[in-house]
This record gives sequence, structure tokens and C-alpha cells, in this order.
Amino acid sequence: MPQAAERKALERGLRSLNENMTTLAELSEIAIRKAVDGFDRLDPGVADDVFTLDQEIYALQLEIEKTCVDLLALHAPVARDLRTITTSLKITTDLDRIGRYAKDIAEVTLQFRGREPNHLRNTGSIPQMTELAVRLVDKAIRAFVARDAESVRHIQEDDDAVDLLHDRAFQELVDKMKSGAMAIEVGARYILVTRYLERIADHAVNIGQRVVYMVTGETVPRVRAAERSKA
Amino acid sequence: MLRSLLKGTAPPSTAVEPEVHRVPPPLTLVEIQDAAIESRNLSVWYGRKHAIREVDLKIQRRGITAIIGPSGCGKSTYLRAINRMNDTIRNCRTTGQLLVDGEDVYGPNVDPVLLRRKVGLIFQKPNPFPKTVYRNVAFGVQLHYRTTKEELDGVVEAALREANLWDEVKDRLHDSALGLSGGQQQRLCIARALAIQPEMLLMDEPCSALDPVATAKIEDLMFELKKQMTIVIVTHNMQQAARIADHTAFLYLGKLVEYSQTRELFERPTQELTENYITGRFG
Repeated sequence: MPQAAERKALERGLRSLNENMTTLAELSEIAIRKAVDGFDRLDPGVADDVFTLDQEIYALQLEIEKTCVDLLALHAPVARDLRTITTSLKITTDLDRIGRYAKDIAEVTLQFRGREPNHLRNTGSIPQMTELAVRLVDKAIRAFVARDAESVRHIQEDDDAVDLLHDRAFQELVDKMKSGAMAIEVGARYILVTRYLERIADHAVNIGQRVVYMVTGETVPRVRAAERSKA
Repeated sequence: MLRSLLKGTAPPSTAVEPEVHRVPPPLTLVEIQDAAIESRNLSVWYGRKHAIREVDLKIQRRGITAIIGPSGCGKSTYLRAINRMNDTIRNCRTTGQLLVDGEDVYGPNVDPVLLRRKVGLIFQKPNPFPKTVYRNVAFGVQLHYRTTKEELDGVVEAALREANLWDEVKDRLHDSALGLSGGQQQRLCIARALAIQPEMLLMDEPCSALDPVATAKIEDLMFELKKQMTIVIVTHNMQQAARIADHTAFLYLGKLVEYSQTRELFERPTQELTENYITGRFG
């Protein structure tokens, strides 16, 4: 059991960790919002902002990892403290990956060079998928900040909708490419964006499930969508 | 006669501290299949002080069970109740049952000396006799058994080997035990206890006076010993409990608060009181 002075030091470390984690989560959410906004409008001007955010996210992730290792090494935390630190370590990777996918979406936007006359018509299910993926990230981050396990206990089910839209968007794009209504190069770029959005939603699910563990100590089992629908 | 002396009636209610009512009902989250030790409704009083309060606890055979809790919570009292070391304390009374191998150790036909041969106790501070290393280990053996010189030599060597001390003391068996380091003295005390072949070992903060290297040696030894005996350890060191114990019981104000698998207790304690104690929010 830590002594009073040691407990205070641990509390200070945990407070600092929480502040940094909240900042990291906010940066990741801003990055993805900016990236999808830039993609919607095919605005290459947004890319620089997203690239800068990605670098900031990475630097903050390293700082958080260091804080976590220090807290583990120096204070041997247990119970809620231990779960907070290990969850933070895991979540930083998810938030960093979300930042990286935001950067990838911004890169695709740049590749269009602001020229794609049929952009709005081409994207089909992508805008809806974007909205759901961003909403999922927002939900997971809010749950983490508020330490609210209940709001994300069933987040995996929310992700099913994103997966369905991903499949639908893929089929729409393939059909268009097959019929010659869309150039292969353009279709491939859209498919990449749908893949990034689908992975972003997966990382949001990871965050949500780890928040449940952090708050309650319960591990949420991974259940395949098909099995969930059977149940 | 002894039983009636030990089992006094409960003192008046004025002895109950008010904050005890804040302790939640005990929560046992572990199922012990083969209990070597079991307390049922065990209470211990020092005069009017109710040190252990109706504790029900089963201790797994051939395992390590840690008892944790803040100072004065009754950890050592509970430990000493198991081999009746509390008998030596004036005004100490015990009620309820404490079963060792299914037999109530406070029963009328129990010989405390034989009980302590079966259930050894290692103290916080190493307490070797001011005699040679050899005599320390041989002492208890000669007290309990008749042996030849050769047999005694064999028992002493075996006990010292079992306590992982033989290689360090084999050339100084006839030097004073007081010349050994603290860690060596503590392992000598363990060898002394092992020499009379106990089935259970009670350890009251056995590493609190030792450095990390000596502590690691005692912990390694405990891992070896638990293959053949039941160990109960009282410790203030949360990391030590987490490292070595299979099960952990948390006592507070003489009451059992939570008892579960060590991993569970330290990763996701169920009672808020347990959480607050192990994370250092009080104590």
C-alpha cells in the first residue's frame, strides 16, 4: 500500500496522464473531422493541418507512454489506478492509429488535386459511413473522458452499421468501375477511404471496450456480427 | 478447563467501536476445495478489545494465502490464533471455531505443543537462538524426537537445504547464528521450523526487515515450500502479496472485508474499502 506522500505523487501522475489523454483524444477527433471535411469538399488546403495534427498526436502518444511506464515502474499501481494506466497505454495506440488514418484520408484528398467533377455523385454511401465513423469516435472519446462504461458497453453493435455501409460502398464502387462510369484510379482511391473509415470505427470500438474494462474491470468479449445477430 | 478459559463470553457492547459498522459484510469470491485451515465465526478479544470479529475463512491446502490490512486490523492476531500463540497473551480470549485439518484447535483434547509442531510460525524479526547454526536447527528436533547423531546431522542438512541456506552456511555450522546476515537468519528460522516437518507455515511479515535480495530468496523459498505445505503470510507489502499469494484476504477493524484470488483482488477489487486500501487512499 503506497504511503501518503507516494499516493500524492501517484495522484499527480494520474492527473497529468488524464489531462494528456484528454488532449490526445481531442486532437485525434479534430484530425479525423478535418480530414473527412477536406475529403467531402476535396479541399487540399486541409491536408497540412491534418499532417501537423498527426505529428502532434504522435509526439503526445510518446509522452503518454513514458508517463505510463514511469507510473508503473515507480508506483506499482493496483486496481482502478492500474486499469487506468494500462488502458491509457492501449488507447494511445488506437488514438494514434485514428490520427494516422486521418492523415491517409488527407493524402487521398491531395491526390485528387481538387479535380473530380463527379465527386458528390461518386461517393454514394461514403458520406453516411463517414458520419457514423466520426460519431463512433466521438462516443468512445466522450465515454473515456467521462469514465462512462455504460454508454459504450454495446459499441460493437454500433460498428456493425459501419461495416454494412463499408460493404455497400465497396459494391457500389466496384459496380461503377465495372460499368466504366468511374476510372479505376479514382475508384481505388474511394475504396481506400472507405477502408480507412472502417478501420477508424474499429479503433473507436477498441477504445469503447477498453473504457468498460477501465471503469468496471470487466473484459467485453469480442463477438462476431453474425453471432450477435443470431443471439 | 483450558477451553473455558480461552472461550470467554463476549464483552459488553461498549467495546464495539462505532466505525466498525461502516465495514461492509464480508465478500468471499473464491471457492476453496481443500481447506487445510478454516475459521468459523472466529472472534478474538484482548480484554475488551474485539480484535477479530466473526471471521469465516478457508485456507487452501498447498497454497499461499496472504492476509493484508492496515496496522491493528487483526492480521497477526488471526495468524497467531491458528497455532494458538495467542494463548500466551494474558486476557486474550477466543470464540468460534478454528479448524486445522478439520479439527478444532481450541477443542478440549488439543495439545498446543503438538499443534505448533504441525503449524510453524515465522516472526517478523529473525529470532535465532544465541547458539550455533547447527544447534538452532537441531534444537526443535531434539525436543520432539529421539535421534542418533547421524540422523540429526541428516535432518539439519536437509532442513538447511530446504531453506536454501546450506551452501551459505555448510562451512560455518558451528559458528554463532547471530553472525549471519538478516536474510540468512530469517532462512535459518525457517530451517528451524522445517526441521520438525510442519505441514503448515505461518509467516508474520517475514521480509519486513530484509533487503530486496534477501526478500527474493525468501519468496523463492515460499514458492518451493508451497508444493508440499500450506503457507499463510501476513504482509504490509502489497507487491509481495501480489507476487506470491494464490489467495488474498483483506481484513479491516478485525473484520474480513474481501477474500478472493490475488489477481482478482489487485486488478478488480469488488469492495470500495478494499480498493481504497490497496491503492493507498487510506491506511
